[in-house]
Amino acid sequence: MPDSILTIADATKRYGPVNALDRVNLEVEEGEFLTLLGPSGSGKTTLLSAIAGFAPLSEGRIDLRGRDITGEPPEHRDFGMVFQGYALFPTMTVRDNIAFPLRVRKRPTAEIKKRVEYCLGLVQMEEFADRMPTQMSGGQQQRIALARALSFEPQVLLLDEPLSALDKKLRADLQWELKSLHDKLGVTFIYVTHDQDEALSMSDRVVILKDGRIQQEGVPDTLYNHPRNSFVADFLGKSNFLDLPVSAREDDALTCSIGGTKFPVMAPGATATGDVLKVALRPERIRLGQPGQEMLDGTVRQVSYLGERCLVMVDHEDVGTLIVSQPTWKAGVTPRAGLPVSFGWDADACVVLEPGG
Amino acid sequence: MKTSGFRIFFMTGAWMVLAFLLLPILVVIPVSLTDTSYIGLPKEGLSLQHYAAYFQDPRWMAATWTSIWIGVVVAVCATALGTAFAIGCWFLSDRASTVARWILITPILVPPVVQSLGFYRFWVTLGLIDTNTGVILAHTLLALPYVSISVFAALANLDRRIPQAARSLGASVWQTVRAVVLPAAMPGMVTGGIFAFIVSFDEIVGVLFITVRNVSTLPKKIWEGIQEDIDPTIASVATMLVMLTLVVTAITIWRGRANA
Repeated sequence: MPDSILTIADATKRYGPVNALDRVNLEVEEGEFLTLLGPSGSGKTTLLSAIAGFAPLSEGRIDLRGRDITGEPPEHRDFGMVFQGYALFPTMTVRDNIAFPLRVRKRPTAEIKKRVEYCLGLVQMEEFADRMPTQMSGGQQQRIALARALSFEPQVLLLDEPLSALDKKLRADLQWELKSLHDKLGVTFIYVTHDQDEALSMSDRVVILKDGRIQQEGVPDTLYNHPRNSFVADFLGKSNFLDLPVSAREDDALTCSIGGTKFPVMAPGATATGDVLKVALRPERIRLGQPGQEMLDGTVRQVSYLGERCLVMVDHEDVGTLIVSQPTWKAGVTPRAGLPVSFGWDADACVVLEPGG
Repeated sequence: MKTSGFRIFFMTGAWMVLAFLLLPILVVIPVSLTDTSYIGLPKEGLSLQHYAAYFQDPRWMAATWTSIWIGVVVAVCATALGTAFAIGCWFLSDRASTVARWILITPILVPPVVQSLGFYRFWVTLGLIDTNTGVILAHTLLALPYVSISVFAALANLDRRIPQAARSLGASVWQTVRAVVLPAAMPGMVTGGIFAFIVSFDEIVGVLFITVRNVSTLPKKIWEGIQEDIDPTIASVATMLVMLTLVVTAITIWRGRANA
């Protein structure tokens, strides 16, 4: 197992009666790209502020490579930080902004000059060195903020929704850049976002938070395909939720039924016959077919065309309305509102969720 | 364009209000040029004798210099204290700091006479009556709210994440204040400093209460001039102050245009 750079133990932050963080435990590994993902009010920004040293914890501790830093002021933690609003110093040029962390560390002038040039190069902003921050676009300012936060070779780089103020196209470009910068420098990144696409596309590991608690953590692939509870299943991508009664079991293979139709569900762990399983079913895992071709028959309620794929709402008398996502390039059924259709899925498409989630 | 009676009525009203505001100020100009030895309009011709009298009278000169240097010291002290206060409140930004802000601006709300009476009582106890220090202290207290209000206004535009960024990049609180908070507060400090100077330069009620013979400021000298002899020198001083104000205002507007 790789070494942890940061260990967060039982971190709790109370604002009056509200727990913004509720006994959060987290290990951050050296060099990883870790994303804290959650809706607003989930505690992700509070957790980042606590790591940065701006929000003292009510309880718990934070260790940096085994050294307790819970009570240390932000300037002693040696973490770079990138903010949503860029937070460049408006009275300083780009060069002075990037040199700032080096100057407060009293590095030699020659070294500062070299380091600033190198960092400008990292973010491909060499020709902007003598501009003022107000003379640049949002994307350019964020690149400078990134260069500034990396200039002193921080132990960890903290990023607080750095891309959310930018337009969609630019955001996608910067995601690639951030990822390649991370791979190139090997610095540990802790990234806060509410945008699941950002989280899935860049991260080595994602931590999903809700109401100040960690819901699930893992690599993007695991989180997407094996969500633990309905919150995770719903927050990361779209999911259909079904309540399936179990009619038979044989080791991990269960047989469930919907309106008399039986089909297999893979569910490790103990589940008794007669129980009702709560499962999540991804829209893209449902197949559509001609009436009678697949397991269940339903009616198309509505079709929404999204370019590369289309979303189809299918009504079924027992399961209600399901959302199906189908590639538009795929030959076969062309669903139309009001037409009968059949649908089905593979045995491993249903993900059994924790009860109560 | 057809001019309606309505429009004429309001235009006339507006010009009359303007005249009412300006004429009492402007009337000092002909009076200052009078050839008589009392306050009145010129009789036989214009004369600059009262301007000459102002520059030749050591008492007028002394009063002017006193007002100027006290004003400068007050501006410096009030700017330093008011800025420190405003920055402190900005960092705390909690209930206590809101209360503190309200308390600090009370000198603006309290009637000058009441305040001056307070100064008088205290300054007697402290032995500051009729001293420059006493006047500077009183004027600094009176000017503080103007400085802190204008610094508060300047800091309202400062993104809270900017000082946070500085801290996370390794700057201590003090380095953060110097590198990013003070530059943001600077426009407010300049405005506040100018205000503080004007407050001190202009102040008379307090000065009348806490000075006797030792300290004489320009407003006090003007006041005494009116009381003791109706000397037209007062009008020439007043005219010069009006001109100075006009020039300074014009420069401010011109510079504002150039920057915009």
